[in-house]
Amino acid sequence: MTNPATALRDEFGATIAALSNALAAGNEAAFFTELDGLLQRRERMLFLDLRKLTGDLQSALQRFRVDSRLVDLAEKDVPDARLRLDHVLRLTDEAAHRTLDLVEQSGPLAERTAKAANDLKEPWQQFRDRKIAIEDFHRMVRQMDAFLDAASGDMNKVRENLSEVLLAQGYQDLSGQIIRGVMKLVTELEIALVDLVRLAQTGARTARHVSDETRRGFGPPIPGIKTSPAVSGQQDVDALLSGLGV
Amino acid sequence: MSKNLRFLVVDDFSTMRRIVKNLLNDLGYANVQEADDGNTALPMLQTGGFDFLVTDWNMPGMPGLDLLKAVRADPKLAKMPVLMLTAEAKREQIIEAAQAGVNGYVIKPFTAITLKEKIDKILGAAA
Repeated sequence: MTNPATALRDEFGATIAALSNALAAGNEAAFFTELDGLLQRRERMLFLDLRKLTGDLQSALQRFRVDSRLVDLAEKDVPDARLRLDHVLRLTDEAAHRTLDLVEQSGPLAERTAKAANDLKEPWQQFRDRKIAIEDFHRMVRQMDAFLDAASGDMNKVRENLSEVLLAQGYQDLSGQIIRGVMKLVTELEIALVDLVRLAQTGARTARHVSDETRRGFGPPIPGIKTSPAVSGQQDVDALLSGLGV
Repeated sequence: MSKNLRFLVVDDFSTMRRIVKNLLNDLGYANVQEADDGNTALPMLQTGGFDFLVTDWNMPGMPGLDLLKAVRADPKLAKMPVLMLTAEAKREQIIEAAQAGVNGYVIKPFTAITLKEKIDKILGAAA
């Protein structure tokens, strides 16, 4: 270990001696040359210290940024992703059941119509062949009245159910948007982890960040995930828009 | 006349495009074409031949809000009725769409009746 006093003497002794000699001799030019040299040396040392300090600060800030992004991801976004995927499960489940319900409801209606039409075939053929008994004819007319009523009612219901089946397929869009959001999160998590690994190795690496979401869209709202104020349904949208004059 | 309107349906999910197309067909609008995002839709619109735009918001490439702004900024298309059909539900977004000049906003999941009402309202206002 060098003694601090000795170190100081080694570093500045010669300059100070030259400085005081110049002062004693009244040599102004030599005095100021020595003084300038001294100041420059001091400035350079300060500059080096400052640069090191800035470097430390920068890497600390970067580490903090990566760390806080990871903390965010771990504490908020990952549990959110679980809620999102739960919601997807619910959406697909509901849509599948809704579709199955409608198919199960429509099947018997179509079957009933087909059967009733089939039952009319025989008396109708007898009628066409002019071989129908009068009581059979009366029965056929009553049967025909009932069939026409039932068939139009049943088929309207089937048509309605088909429209509902069509709409139920909207789950694919909604759940797809949510899954895409989770995929984006996984990518972000990957980037943050890679950044962290790099930082641990070299001490510096910037974290990339995703933004601009309002413009691009957030995807469907998820129950249980708090965001900025959202509308609760079409009525809300209509009220908001009519307030805006649309 | 109104049933001859030519619709462009813009959504990145082909299932949703099919749903909307089918619903429009059910409403009597037989002339419906599809595009999968704003970048595909805009040149189609500029080529001409469309009377009504139905667009999603959240799409890769050009999102619906940008498409709406591009339509309003194009003198040839500026007056085209635009119906936003989207899951985007934030109040700030609806306000943003209104300020960008949207004619109607239907939130997903939606019903056939809502879609019909909004289209009728827009066409009624335009007539």
